[in-house]
Amino acid sequence: MTAAADRLRALVVQNHWEQALALLRRMDVEAAAELIMKLPFEEQKRLYCALPIDFAAQLAGEFPYYHAYVLLHARPAQEITAIVDAMPPDERVRFFEELPEEAWQRLMDELEGKQAAGAPEMPRAIAEAPLPDPPIIEARKIEKVFERPGGGNIQVIAPTDLSVTPGSIIALLGPSGSGKSTLLRMLTGLSTPSSGEVLWHGKTFAEEKPNVAIVFQSFALFPWLTVLENVEVPLLARGVEHDERHARALKTLGSVGLEGFESAYPKDLSGGMKQRVGFARALAVEPEILFMDEPFSALDVLTAENLRGELIDLWLGKKIPTRSIFLVTHNIEEAVLLADRILVLGRNPGRIRADFHVPLARPRDRNGAEFLMYVDYIYKLLTQPDLEAAPLVAKSAYQMLPHARPGGIAGLLEILNDRGGKEDLYRIADELRLDVDDLLPIVEATTLLGFATTHRGDVELTPVGKTFSEADVATQKDLFREAALVHATLLKQINNALASKSDHAMPLEFFRDILEEHFPGQEVERQMDTALTWGRYGEIFTYDSETDRLRAPQPVTQAEAG
Amino acid sequence: MVRPQPWTRFAPWAALPRSVPSLLADLPILLAGLALFYGLLALARYWAAPVSTHAEIRLTAAVLPKYALFSVARLTVAYFISLSITLVYAYSAAHSKRAERVLIPLLDTLQSIPVLSFLPPVMVAMVTLFPTRQLGVELGSIVLIVTGQVWNMAFSVYSSFKNIPRELQEAADIYRLSWWQKFLQLELPYSAIGLVWNSMMSMAGGWFFLMACEMFVLGNRDLRLPGLGSYLQTAANAGDTRAIVEGVAVMIGVIVLMDQLIWRPIIAWSEKFKFEQVEAASAPRSPMLDLLRRSRLLARVGALTVTPAREALTLHFARQRAEPTAEPSKIRTGLGWLAAIAVIAAVLYATFRMAVMLTALSAPDVRGIGMGAATTFLRVEFTLALAALWTVPVGVFIGLRPRVSAIAQPIAQVAASVPATALFPIVLLMLIQVGGGLGVGSIVLLLLGTQWYILFNVIAGATAIPTDLREVCDVFHLHGAQRWRRLLLPAIFPYLITGLVTASGGAWNASIVAEYFKFRGKTFSTVGLGAVISRATDNGNFPVLLGATIVMAALVVVVNRLVWRRLYVLASTRFVLDS
Repeated sequence: MTAAADRLRALVVQNHWEQALALLRRMDVEAAAELIMKLPFEEQKRLYCALPIDFAAQLAGEFPYYHAYVLLHARPAQEITAIVDAMPPDERVRFFEELPEEAWQRLMDELEGKQAAGAPEMPRAIAEAPLPDPPIIEARKIEKVFERPGGGNIQVIAPTDLSVTPGSIIALLGPSGSGKSTLLRMLTGLSTPSSGEVLWHGKTFAEEKPNVAIVFQSFALFPWLTVLENVEVPLLARGVEHDERHARALKTLGSVGLEGFESAYPKDLSGGMKQRVGFARALAVEPEILFMDEPFSALDVLTAENLRGELIDLWLGKKIPTRSIFLVTHNIEEAVLLADRILVLGRNPGRIRADFHVPLARPRDRNGAEFLMYVDYIYKLLTQPDLEAAPLVAKSAYQMLPHARPGGIAGLLEILNDRGGKEDLYRIADELRLDVDDLLPIVEATTLLGFATTHRGDVELTPVGKTFSEADVATQKDLFREAALVHATLLKQINNALASKSDHAMPLEFFRDILEEHFPGQEVERQMDTALTWGRYGEIFTYDSETDRLRAPQPVTQAEAG
Repeated sequence: MVRPQPWTRFAPWAALPRSVPSLLADLPILLAGLALFYGLLALARYWAAPVSTHAEIRLTAAVLPKYALFSVARLTVAYFISLSITLVYAYSAAHSKRAERVLIPLLDTLQSIPVLSFLPPVMVAMVTLFPTRQLGVELGSIVLIVTGQVWNMAFSVYSSFKNIPRELQEAADIYRLSWWQKFLQLELPYSAIGLVWNSMMSMAGGWFFLMACEMFVLGNRDLRLPGLGSYLQTAANAGDTRAIVEGVAVMIGVIVLMDQLIWRPIIAWSEKFKFEQVEAASAPRSPMLDLLRRSRLLARVGALTVTPAREALTLHFARQRAEPTAEPSKIRTGLGWLAAIAVIAAVLYATFRMAVMLTALSAPDVRGIGMGAATTFLRVEFTLALAALWTVPVGVFIGLRPRVSAIAQPIAQVAASVPATALFPIVLLMLIQVGGGLGVGSIVLLLLGTQWYILFNVIAGATAIPTDLREVCDVFHLHGAQRWRRLLLPAIFPYLITGLVTASGGAWNASIVAEYFKFRGKTFSTVGLGAVISRATDNGNFPVLLGATIVMAALVVVVNRLVWRRLYVLASTRFVLDS
């Protein structure tokens, strides 16, 4: 072996690449990889750079993980992409799964833009812009606070800085309740920040009304107007005369593929067609920034995918006059598919947890390695404990129950058990066709109850979780009750309160008051709902909606427990 | 959309259809236009005439068409006044938080005041305004009708305005619609359906109180206006059975005709304002509407008048909005404050005067009001119970059988559209023959006026019971009482409550005409708050009128808040079928 290594090294030193390749090709891949690793590291890199893509891809899977990672990054960016894409699919998945901590950290730094210029190691499909354009919108320390009816405030959005520069699609991604829509409405001037200011080209909304448009989730079309009249609405509001208005509306309708539907009413159209009208209405005013508030989430999967594709085509073909697109979504794949830049929001209170660029080439392949890398990264972000915000929240934070039903929790645990106790979140989401909004609360609930742990976008069963997933219904309920009484503050409080009363009953109103200290009104109801479902399922209490009272199930339980 | 060529703007006749068949199709519309014009001319001549408070109401069939025209004109004018008030009132309440806090409780109070209580102040004001012309008395009568029509319309439009979905509001804001464009393209269309249904109810209310509104005694003045209401009242006084029957027949004819020619087309047309994203399976149709829609004449006239006017107005407000708005000047804010202070002062003064007037009430007066209130309360509740007792089984029977309801619904609708007051004389005739007094009679009269609300709602509720629930009952052999308790009653509960709420309000208002009735030159009356109010109006006894009105308004508001609203909440939470 040493002789072979020496021969290879000689070839590399003399730059005899063809012969070196021929030598390696004669061996099987595993042996070739071992041989390469016997060379000095610098020569390994030079050799790897000289290998053709397909062979480099075959070899990559044979190196220990971090080694492969470093070798890969010796090559120019586009070649790395090509090599990763050329890897056999299962190898590729393994490659990303085995990503060691340092590699992750590097990747994270890269994604967050911490490693500024001179970082040659990560793929950069798009060259850095020479000089950033001045931003269109600058939000300075905007904050949203809602007053509670009983006095006191609840912070919905923590003071946030944000700028929107021209020429990019920006996705605002976050779980429900993170204030995505509130942020969008403050940027568009629909809602006024409680403090801080939003500047468009350096001017406030009072000084100058910006030219914006929003595409709404519910389409927000006027059902009594025809398609054409709907598109004419904003033009009429701008005082555009009849003939010009007509011509402009027709032209915009044409650009979104709605010729021939001018005189139809929205109720005659399918969801996808309605949203096209929504797009046409927004584009008719030639907005500087096109805002979209979950524009595809009311559509079925295929229609949504089709519309996304057309939007990208319009944008890339510069067929729409907007300078930037600002998209609010809770769909991670949608964000990675469309956006040049992604903002991830955290909640309670809402704030930006991550802000990074997505320098993937278009058209983007949903199954491409780097695409999945970004999806995985975002899952990791959303599931990892919120370190940087912890001191902010700690002083007043009351534990927030994730809005998951016991059935969902049990379902997830059973799926995990079927897959050997560990699985990638994005894969579960993808296979079950679940949105983050549906999946994340369930994951959070399982970790809160100690049935599973999350790590870097993976979710893994704990021993209790495993027992739970294999138990019968009655045992599951017992396990659930035990876990809830240990980990869920609200249920613990309810249980203690009920136990301390001689009649073992309390009005629900009492706990609602407690929650109102900590959550805005809508959230209070959702917390109550979740607590009721969990408490009823775990037989911690029964609830009578007529009297609005909670009651401990029966004294027998206490005797057993004691 | 029909769009005129540029040159036709200056030559309207060129826009008229040229072919003979289309001209023939437009002939009815042309004739209707001419008839309308003649009617207006006749009315104007009559209104400008010197006042004749003692107009002779003749009881011959020949005068009936003229009387019917007068009544319809009065109701129509009143309706349009109500509509204007409704829009202004609802718009102000929905758009200003400060105005809302005043206007909405005020609306709640005003709608619980019975129509007749408005009579003396309205009449005195109008007759003082136009002392010499017929117009004064006429306006008084019209305003009186308005006080019975406007409240529920205003409430409906206000709640529609408030319930416009958030994203639609935001779309209007983000696309910078002027207040006018927002009103025209979003707010008005969104409230259209509720407005149409409430307009129909208001018109029905107008017919109900027509007799009271066209002929009344004000102190020593006996005012009567030519119309169907006064005709019926006079016929009742005279005990002229033939005239009563003829009057009722004409009234029913007019109501049915208006329903077919005006309300059906409007309902069918307002379908397009339904806020639903999918096409409904069966939409209401109207041949009359089809005729109007096919008319090219109307389309061209519209394209020459309404369309350009709308366009010009909308563009005007759009440009006005685009200009930077000046800060409200100090003078204007100052004037606003002055006006507010003036209103508050007026309210305080009026409250003081009312208090002074109430001190004039004697002990027997107060006792009378108290007794009357208790009696009428019991009477109204008894009537509701009686109405529910027969309408629930009948309504469920009809509602569960599509074939029966296809026949019964239109019949019941015609029956319901006949104002119960018009039937009072006939009912009284029969009652007197069997020997019952107004004690029993008033309950029959109240029943006539209120049972329909309950019946229609129960039918609707029974129709809405899902088939699978009925099949579950069959599978588990639930019959008789069990079936009623487990399925039918809970399922129709929300509808029954809606019907009862409407009926309750109607019954209180109707008690005024049901408890006190002039017939064959005699005055029949029974103990009751309605009778107290009617008698006080007749005698010009203002303290009693005021006291009784306050008691009635308070009773209605309290019962609404304490009983009906709670049942309503219960109905919309526990008994709602949303699967």
